Amino acid sequence: MTASTAPVTHSSQARPPIWRNTTILKWGVQIIVLALVIAAFTFLVSQAKTNLDQKGIPVDYDWINDPANIQLGEGIDTQPNSMGRALWSGMVNTLRIAGVGILVATIIGVFVGLARLSHNWLAQKVASIYVETLRNIPVLVQILLWFAILTSLGDLTQDSGVLNDFVFLSQKGISIPRVFFADGFYQWLFLLLVFGVGIHFVRKRLQRKQDLEGGDKHIGLISFGLWVLAAAIAWPANPIMSWVGSIFDAIADVWGSIPETLMQLILTAIAVGAAVIWIRRFLESRRTPAGLAKLTDDDWFRMIFAGIAALIAALFIWILWPGLSSWIINSGRDFFEFLGNKFGGERGSLPLDAMKPTLSEGRFVNYGPTGLTMSVFFASLFFGLVFYTSSFIAEIVRGGVLAVPPGQSEAAAAVGLSRMQSLRKVVLPQAFRVIMPPLGNQYLNLTKNTSLAIAVGYSDVVQVGQSLYNKNNQTLAVFGIWMTFFLACSLTTSLVVNIINRRLEIVER
Amino acid sequence: MSMSDANIALSAEMAARDNMITCRGVKKWFGDFQALTGVDLTVKDREVMVVLGPSGSGKSTLIRCINRLEVHQEGQIVVDGIELTNDLRNIDKIRSEVGMVFQQFNLFPHLTVLDNITLAPVWVRKKSKVEAEATAHELLERVGIPEQAAKYPGQLSGGQQQRVAIARSLAMEPKVMLFDEPTSALDPEMISEVLDVMKDLANGGMTMIVVTHEMGFAREVADRVVFMEAGNVVEINEPEAFFTNPVSDRTKLFLSQIL
Repeated sequence: MTASTAPVTHSSQARPPIWRNTTILKWGVQIIVLALVIAAFTFLVSQAKTNLDQKGIPVDYDWINDPANIQLGEGIDTQPNSMGRALWSGMVNTLRIAGVGILVATIIGVFVGLARLSHNWLAQKVASIYVETLRNIPVLVQILLWFAILTSLGDLTQDSGVLNDFVFLSQKGISIPRVFFADGFYQWLFLLLVFGVGIHFVRKRLQRKQDLEGGDKHIGLISFGLWVLAAAIAWPANPIMSWVGSIFDAIADVWGSIPETLMQLILTAIAVGAAVIWIRRFLESRRTPAGLAKLTDDDWFRMIFAGIAALIAALFIWILWPGLSSWIINSGRDFFEFLGNKFGGERGSLPLDAMKPTLSEGRFVNYGPTGLTMSVFFASLFFGLVFYTSSFIAEIVRGGVLAVPPGQSEAAAAVGLSRMQSLRKVVLPQAFRVIMPPLGNQYLNLTKNTSLAIAVGYSDVVQVGQSLYNKNNQTLAVFGIWMTFFLACSLTTSLVVNIINRRLEIVER
Repeated sequence: MSMSDANIALSAEMAARDNMITCRGVKKWFGDFQALTGVDLTVKDREVMVVLGPSGSGKSTLIRCINRLEVHQEGQIVVDGIELTNDLRNIDKIRSEVGMVFQQFNLFPHLTVLDNITLAPVWVRKKSKVEAEATAHELLERVGIPEQAAKYPGQLSGGQQQRVAIARSLAMEPKVMLFDEPTSALDPEMISEVLDVMKDLANGGMTMIVVTHEMGFAREVADRVVFMEAGNVVEINEPEAFFTNPVSDRTKLFLSQIL
């Protein structure tokens, strides 16, 4: 038996073999899974394509530029000259109903939800009946019900106007007066922005003064007054800003004359720069007071992948999609030309104008200075979706407020906050945290439910797409466009909701 | 023992002081259940009153009525000469003069310790933020946790949270402090740090009503001890007499169970 004096290797120093190294296993598995998914997807797509090609149903997107020969009920382009344009019109219609629907459903939902919590017996009962009725009837039934009600209205004649012809109700739709942007709007907006910078500084000064001296300096009231004043001054003064248009024209010229290679270089520089900045920030976050901490395998993997991401981006810019840079150049130029057109020229009129609904030959005039018209198709889908979704939002809001422990408002009352202050400063900020994730779900639901447009014939992206593939049999291609579109909408919504959630997080430890 | 004399068991010096809180025949029902059955009680200026009693005896309900977290249905509550009625102005005035510390701390978890303390002074008293923050730092110093100002309540221990809650109440410069079982939710080793802060407050001349089960605190700090049972006051006495020579049988039973 020998007295062994061999030094014991410290376990944390020894590098385990690869098959036992958790870091390498973790990354390895992820890389393999990713590769498998991509391979499977490519395989399936190519198989589907070959099979369909053999059956004589090619899947491609060349038909996007074919003439559409369809007519849309409403939208930015009712007689689109290409199928792509028709789909785009449908997408805008979908976004229009989803965007306005989300806004209105949120307002109604918050209002009803708070009403259900109120101590006012009548408000509480009315709100309860609202919620219990609407959320228990299928949304499709509600949409069809609205459609039946609206189409049973009378013919559109001069007689169908009420309130001195300010509002029209008929089976052709609902029309109300509208305030719209007149020619002077953009210059007015620019002047307002200039004033806004000044108002911001006044606000900051007042805030600092209030922080130092106390008392109420009426910051909100004063800045509101200043905004009103600025709007009034800028109202007739906007023609003096027409030179702004030439600035945008100049930017458009410069942007349009960027050589394609230079744009590719710039894009590459951005990709590489982003990776470098990310790695530097990452190293910074690993820095301890005692200097840079020893980097783990995991850290090295992360940095290597940041570099690889930059490489892939460069590959994309130079080889996979060389048209990207010219697309950026062209659309950038178009954008600045559009701004130059809006801001410049002899657009010396008033910024806003308003108009009552106008009729022509038994129809509403939909373009130019006229009222705001909702077709029966839009209106029935809109009312159906908004009222249905708002009943769910109401419950979410109610649940969120109830989730804040009663001790919170008691503590707020005990330190002397008024009920409004307690709601604003203590209860709602905490309720919001609970409300936000399910609220995001409702927004996604509403957006996806717009596809029920097909039941009433509103020209949304689904209805338009269906008319298109009935013509050219490109069913799969249209499905691809639908899925991409709805996925993009949903992911954008989720992203916004997630960002808000992260900002609302409460620090626990 | 007659309860009609609300100034019972007061030293001559104490009796000469102004009344800070006066309750006369205060009754309170929760549905069918009567939580307070006509409480008569007077708390003098700078007096420390400890309220004892079994659970469900109405101790918490009584002090919650004093700053109108609960609404009493009959009787009269007067705080510093202001009667607690439906008048919103009176309620606001009393609430800004009466501080309250809860069993569950009830700090605002979405605000830092500093913001918890400055919220009411800035929004209710319209103090400047700079002044309110200076006061807040002083108060945190006083309760012994000056280094925690930038943290969130969730990052503090229970004892630290309760001390922040005390500082938050003190920031409104109250004339009266109500404590609703302030140490009941704390780990044993944290109880003393909160009680020490309360003792300092009492020695500084704060009028306090303390609902607690800490008999040591009652004995050491209280000017008078009140024993409640089934929604009413059973016995009021100076702590020494209360603990050594209780009058009512109910009090004797209670003391025998807990001591």
